[in-house]
Amino acid sequence: MYAKSLLFTTALLPAVAMAGHAEEGWPEPVKEYYTGQVLFDRLELTRTDEEENVAVWDMMAWYGGDYHRFVFKSEGENIQDDGESTDLESAELLYGYLMSPFWSFQAGVGTRGSLSSDASMENYAVVSFMGLAPYWFEMDNSLMVNEEGDVQFVSETEYEWQLTQTSYLQPRIEFTANLTDSDKYERQSGLSNLRVGLRYRHEISREFAPYIGVYWNGALGNTADEMKRMGEDTTETGVVLGARVWF
Amino acid sequence: MNNEFNKGRRKFIKSAFTVASALAIAKVAPTWATPQGRKFKDQVLTKDEIDLTIAKSPLLVGNKVGTPITINGQMPGPLIRLKEGQRAKLNVTNRLSEDTSIHWHGIILPENMDGVPGVSFEGIKPGRTYKYRYDVEQNGTYWYHSHSGLQEQLGHLGPLIIDPKDGDIGADREHTIILSDWTFEDPNDVFRNLKVAEGYYNYQKRTIFETFEDVRQHGLEKTWKQREMWGQMRMSPRDIADVTGSTYTYLMNGRDSAMNWSALFKPGEKVRLRIINGSAMSYFDVRIPGLEMTVVAADGQPVKPVSIDEFRIGVAETYDVIVQPKHNKAYTIFAESFDRSGYVRGTLTPEIGLEAEVPELRAVPERGMAAMGMGAMAMSGNKEEKGMMNMSGTDGHMNHEMMHKKELPVENIKIEHSEGGHGAAAAMIAMNPTSRLHEPGIGLDNVDHRVLVYSDLIGAQEWPDKREPERQIELHLTGNMERYMWSFDGKKYTEVDGPVQFRHGERLRLVMVNDTMMDHPIHLHGMWMELENGQYPRPRKHTISLKPSEKVSLLISADAPGSWAFHCHLLYHMKAGMFRVVNVA
Repeated sequence: MYAKSLLFTTALLPAVAMAGHAEEGWPEPVKEYYTGQVLFDRLELTRTDEEENVAVWDMMAWYGGDYHRFVFKSEGENIQDDGESTDLESAELLYGYLMSPFWSFQAGVGTRGSLSSDASMENYAVVSFMGLAPYWFEMDNSLMVNEEGDVQFVSETEYEWQLTQTSYLQPRIEFTANLTDSDKYERQSGLSNLRVGLRYRHEISREFAPYIGVYWNGALGNTADEMKRMGEDTTETGVVLGARVWF
Repeated sequence: MNNEFNKGRRKFIKSAFTVASALAIAKVAPTWATPQGRKFKDQVLTKDEIDLTIAKSPLLVGNKVGTPITINGQMPGPLIRLKEGQRAKLNVTNRLSEDTSIHWHGIILPENMDGVPGVSFEGIKPGRTYKYRYDVEQNGTYWYHSHSGLQEQLGHLGPLIIDPKDGDIGADREHTIILSDWTFEDPNDVFRNLKVAEGYYNYQKRTIFETFEDVRQHGLEKTWKQREMWGQMRMSPRDIADVTGSTYTYLMNGRDSAMNWSALFKPGEKVRLRIINGSAMSYFDVRIPGLEMTVVAADGQPVKPVSIDEFRIGVAETYDVIVQPKHNKAYTIFAESFDRSGYVRGTLTPEIGLEAEVPELRAVPERGMAAMGMGAMAMSGNKEEKGMMNMSGTDGHMNHEMMHKKELPVENIKIEHSEGGHGAAAAMIAMNPTSRLHEPGIGLDNVDHRVLVYSDLIGAQEWPDKREPERQIELHLTGNMERYMWSFDGKKYTEVDGPVQFRHGERLRLVMVNDTMMDHPIHLHGMWMELENGQYPRPRKHTISLKPSEKVSLLISADAPGSWAFHCHLLYHMKAGMFRVVNVA
């Protein structure tokens, strides 16, 4: 069978050598795939030790392929019933590129400030390294420079202990450091803030997972000194109730 | 004899009606999969010209109605029976609202009959008929399936059996068993879930309590060492199947375990089971407790008989086994998903209505875990670790010298990794890949019975081309689980400039290295691959499964001019880009 077909095809070689190329108008056998996701990692109500109720969000949305993605990140909070407007901690639009198997580099612009009509927003440029560190530490490290030239660094790290196939204990640590003093935004250089949290999450589905948790938030260094001088409390603890949701 | 089986059939129909599932039985395709097996020919398509109509129609799958893609109203599609030497005339009509295709898996045929849209033809537009015509120059157990999008996941597949010229099936009776995995989810959603949420379908991850238990049993140091490599690599030792029993209903001839597909035999008869893995994503471990199986063909091609108790069948592979049940009792045909997240069973029985004990699912296996055990299997686990841990050394060598005597060509081939280790598309590279053809695979290391391994396979006859290879082509299987990227040499299909070039008429050696921690069934269209497993004649394969950190070599006679698909047969890996075109010119 083989010998026959070999003879046959060899005889036809000049003719068939031209064959074997996809013709115009044919579909691609495999196409580039694009998708997106909206993920609210934290969508929660916080009860602080000051007996304030605070609504908090921490979300990310992206669209793109494997290597190139548009990313939108936002964090913020609203203290309930205080008559003040929502505090937008960040809203960033970034372009992300997968530079190694577990890390993407992101660059873009962001804005933050109080969401009231009279407040002026702080606009900044931002670069981030986001990814998975060895031993499954989920990290997002961002460096921000605002219009005044003030430089700030924020690092968030999350880890997950798998309790069952659908429940997790998740420690989270976030710190902020100011590389420069900022008069306009009243920031003091040095490590300024540390927030640690622990939450227990249970998946109703992969997409919807309610959680409860606790956190401790403390001002550090020059920032803490300044707050003490103003007579403010430098630490805060609280409990949270929320959900991790994606679609 | 005929009478007896007719009686059996009547009884079967009667009982079917009495259990109020008449509708269910009637609606459950395929009708070729009758208990009588080959002798009941009504629904087997053997005509000179065969018409196949592709449509979407509601059908009972397990205990729920799904909307699979049916072929002539059945899912899986009809059993097509051809004869070696005939001209196949298959007219495929598309009644879907999108393009479709049929690829004749494992059949040697002209390029434009191979059925891969964008490679061999345009595809079949809605409302159109494509007339497949080719000379059948081989025999054995094969199958057919869609090569368009994710249609295969919707059940667009069926068995293709080719009788030898002399009509001898080497047994008194035969049954065809096609295994598949069905989900009620939209396959596009399945793919997106895999893309955006790593481990979405894995409900067998290691918990912290298991870690505590390991610490208690093995001590902190040993446990840490075990966890350390996985932690550094950011991978899970329980990452075995991407899509699991959490969404899949596993089917045997379209029936789930409760529906219990049954096949008749007469005690003492030699029964040939033609087993096809038509799954989109699932490897199965197949056994019939109480019966020895003798493997007589692999991927449709005859092999010297090997007697075993269990075999692993990769996606798209086929095995023919002969069983000879002597007792007048039922036997369970048990096909267990290799990640142990589910199974499907059927029954081999002298009488309809009987069933046998169904084995328990075995424990969830772990990659590299065997290193903590003892004996020969610990070594194989050890090797896997080394491959991944980048610890080249002499131990690995000692292992395979002890475990199999014959030196394989691939063992002397030095594997070079491309600079940069295939980039972001590859989460790992196997620094010290080894031949693992003698290993049964994850989860089968420690079973107390005989499991088929690739190194057992010996071709039943010599193949016509006895030349030594003139040239060598090396391809690496690469992946990044985090973003569900799958590729060859770190490049998805959409990222490569041109085809893999074979020179027409040349004999070449294809070396493949699995730089991932998943098993991959790699399928070459249009040409056979002779597996260099140390046996002669070599077994011929259309689909070869590679274990993590394994290297294999295959000989190919580039005798089929044209363009041919070459890809991982895990459907979602192919869709993610683990696909190439081979051009023979």
